[in-house]
Formats: sequence, structure tokens, C-alpha cells
Amino acid sequence: MNQLNIQPISDDRIKIEAADIPDGLGVTFAGDIDMEDPGIILDPFFDRIHQGMISKKLKEVKADFTGLNFLNSSGIKSVAKWIMRLSDLSTDAKYRITIVHSKDITWQVTSLPTLTFLVPGGVKIE
Amino acid sequence: MPDIIANDREGYIELKFGPRWKYIACVRGFIQNFLAISIVDQTKADKIALAASELLENAVKYASRDDTHILIRVAPATEKISILVENSATPQSITTLREVFQKIIKGDPLQVYVAQMKEAAVRNDGKSYLGLARIRYETGGELTLNITESNVVKLAIDIE
Repeated sequence: MNQLNIQPISDDRIKIEAADIPDGLGVTFAGDIDMEDPGIILDPFFDRIHQGMISKKLKEVKADFTGLNFLNSSGIKSVAKWIMRLSDLSTDAKYRITIVHSKDITWQVTSLPTLTFLVPGGVKIE
Repeated sequence: MPDIIANDREGYIELKFGPRWKYIACVRGFIQNFLAISIVDQTKADKIALAASELLENAVKYASRDDTHILIRVAPATEKISILVENSATPQSITTLREVFQKIIKGDPLQVYVAQMKEAAVRNDGKSYLGLARIRYETGGELTLNITESNVVKLAIDIE
């Protein structure tokens, strides 16, 4: 288990796992996020990460999407919602989100970099 | 000679299905396979499958009757693709769709998409209204919306 006690999510089409990394948390996504309202799963998951990062004063979340085959626009909404919460944080509480994407998956090349425009300086893509 | 004529003809697939969410992934997979044998550019094929999926999600979410119809046409010579999705919708859904469409159809596609993401992020009603802005930006295609007098929504995108 990771230091934020974030439980993994696993069902037929999606797996999300969290693990400790130096000064933060690594989150890996695999499968397809194409359900009608992925916010039911993703919003509470991102909320736990956000609260945990603030309370433990951790500085980075590395979100690895390279195993994710598909993310619908409702799923993008949940990711955007999480990222936007960075703008409400004081300088002390701020953490950075690094999005790891695959250059071999077309939607990741076109969709994921756009998330860096939501909160300037808050999100890095690699 | 007959083979040359056949190869120059526009190819298409047409599907009609009951508006069930679980069918969308299946249709997306079918479209990807169709495009893999129809056009050379794999990146373009991926973008089209994404666009079709987003349009179908839109149609299934707001369908008021039991049929959703998708037509994908491919011009072999130019690899121009046209996607048309049709569904019946309630007057209320049509009003919302018209408003969203008018908002996302003008301006720089990236700026419009980012603005829609910011707006979606503060919604708490389970809706995103993000799909059309996303496919306009990601495909670079031209979206059109037509609504018939009998409340049939016809959303189309042409991708060069």
C-alpha cells in the first residue's frame, strides 16, 4: 500500500493503481475509460489523491496514462476537474502533476498535452 | 478496368443500433477495423474512430427513441472521411445541443476546447458537453448540425 492509502481500482475494462515515488505518488492507468459517467469512479479517486497530497505535503503526482487505450470526454472532464483544483492551493500546499503519455497512441498525443493549459505551471507532460 | 472503377468508388459502412451504452465500444472497434483496411494513415484512422465514438456517446446519451444510426464514408482517392450520426432527441436536448454547438463551432479549436474543459470541470451534473469541442480540435474536421422537423438530430464531421 502507498503512503496515502489510495486503494487500487479494478474492473473489467479499467485498472488504476497508486504507488509511492520519491516525494510523491505514482498513478498508473490501464484499459479503457469509456463508461457513461466515469466521474463516479474517477472523481472520488482524484479527491483522495488531492487531499492526501495536501495533508502529507507531497510535491508530485506522476500520472502514467501509457497503458490507457481510450479515454472519453467525460473521463477528460474528471482529469480536468482534478487539475483545476491545483489553482485553489496556496503556494505551500501546491504539488505538481506530471502526465506521462505514449507517443504511439494518437489520442494521448492530441488530448493529454491540452491539459497543461488548464493551470499554467501546474502540469508537466512527458 | 472494372477493378479500377470499383476501387475509385466511395466506400462506406452504415450501422443502426439500439441506443445502449455498451454497444459503443463494440462499434468503435468495428470502425477501427473498417478504417484499417480503407485508409493508409493510421493516425487519421485513430482520430476518426475517436470522433465516431464521441458522436455516438452524444447520440446515445440524448436519444429519445430506439435507434441510433451511423454512416461513415471514405473517398479512396483523397482519403476524405465523412461521419454522420443520426438520432431522435427530445426538444429539450435539441435546445441544449444547439447552444453547445454554437459555442464550440467558432474560434480557435484549441482555445475553445480548453475553455470547454474549464467549464466542464466545474459542472456537477454528470455532463461534460466536451465531446464536440474535443473532436473539432483533435481531428481538425468540419462539424455540421442539422435538425429535422421531426426532431431527428444529424451531426456530421468531414475530415480531410
